[in-house]
Amino acid sequence: MSLSAKAKRIILFSAALVAVILFVAYRYLLQPPPPAVSVPPSVQLVQSRLVGRREGQRQWEIISRSVLQEGDVVTLSDLERMVVFQDEEPYLHIQTPRAQWLRKTEVLQLYGPVVVEGEEGLRLESGYLEWQGQTGRLLSPGPVQILWRGMEIRAQEMSLDMEEGLMYLRRGVEIRDGAFTWKLEEAAYNLDAESMDFYGNVVLEGEAGSD
Amino acid sequence: MTKKLVGLMWLVVLWACACGMGLAQGQTGRLEITGVPPEVSTGRYDRQAGVFAADVSGIEGALIHVTFEEVQITGQKLEWRTDDDYLVFTQGAALTKEDFTLTADAVEYFGEEKKLRAAGNVVVITKDATVYADELDYNEETDEAVFTGKVKVEFEDGVLEGTKFVMLLEKSELQFFGAFQGLFNTERE
Repeated sequence: MSLSAKAKRIILFSAALVAVILFVAYRYLLQPPPPAVSVPPSVQLVQSRLVGRREGQRQWEIISRSVLQEGDVVTLSDLERMVVFQDEEPYLHIQTPRAQWLRKTEVLQLYGPVVVEGEEGLRLESGYLEWQGQTGRLLSPGPVQILWRGMEIRAQEMSLDMEEGLMYLRRGVEIRDGAFTWKLEEAAYNLDAESMDFYGNVVLEGEAGSD
Repeated sequence: MTKKLVGLMWLVVLWACACGMGLAQGQTGRLEITGVPPEVSTGRYDRQAGVFAADVSGIEGALIHVTFEEVQITGQKLEWRTDDDYLVFTQGAALTKEDFTLTADAVEYFGEEKKLRAAGNVVVITKDATVYADELDYNEETDEAVFTGKVKVEFEDGVLEGTKFVMLLEKSELQFFGAFQGLFNTERE
């Protein structure tokens, strides 16, 4: 049986069309989808006690009603208790409604209002605090108010190097100590030696001869 | 001579105003350090020892000012012991009140003893006279100012020179000790 040239062209075109349809169907419809990006399931714990350690030493301890872990971020809500340790001894007690622990960078973010209390009448209030585990620093990038050994300290920025026992105060620093009020641009306070280094211009107001 | 003594009495009165009133305890005071770039160390306060020390001598244009009421003390180096109320200014120390000025290499104030001491190139300038001396000791209790060393008192029309010159402020009395030389312009107007 001989086919006309026109019929041959129709058959060839049809065959080509079927091949294309089959290829498309196989490539996009029948082939299994690519594997999804690996996302670990989030884990939510209720009423948990978390302990942060560095080189075996306890750095902090948190009791939280709600703990949500998503990847390397641990979100803590309704915190009941947070304690920062120094040499395995409780050093700071922290009240904060919410915190996030960034495990990879060892950063603990505390969202305000944050209140930190410690020995010798230490009370620190800030809108946001960050504990940097790798450097051992407590940082307040915003306004902070501190009560410490009878002094009232205010600054727009604060960082506390707990290993060195040095508190750096920056921008709009005001320190009330008895009858004296210091106003300065920057200060570094050595907590152990109770000495304060001043930087930039300084104003001291007070009463001469008063204690 | 009477005119010169009247001039000295004015100095006495101004001195009393500057020291007696200005440095009395219980006055509201202000310390200010100016002209320092933000990152440069200004001073240190040792709270345990109660010592504040500031040194801006290496910073161009920087100055330490202490103001008690109308009295101002300036300098570039200060040590203040808050517990015993002792204060010492060194390097360009100057005490001013209205038209009264005291400059010296160092000005110390002993709050507990209520004494003021100036040492090294002491110069006291008032409207009527200028006193030069190596040292000056002022006692608030006795109201006595003692100029020692190479003392020179300059008036508009005369000079007195000696080794010790005492002002008894309460008694409005001036005492010259040892050899004193005077040189006056005796021309009458």
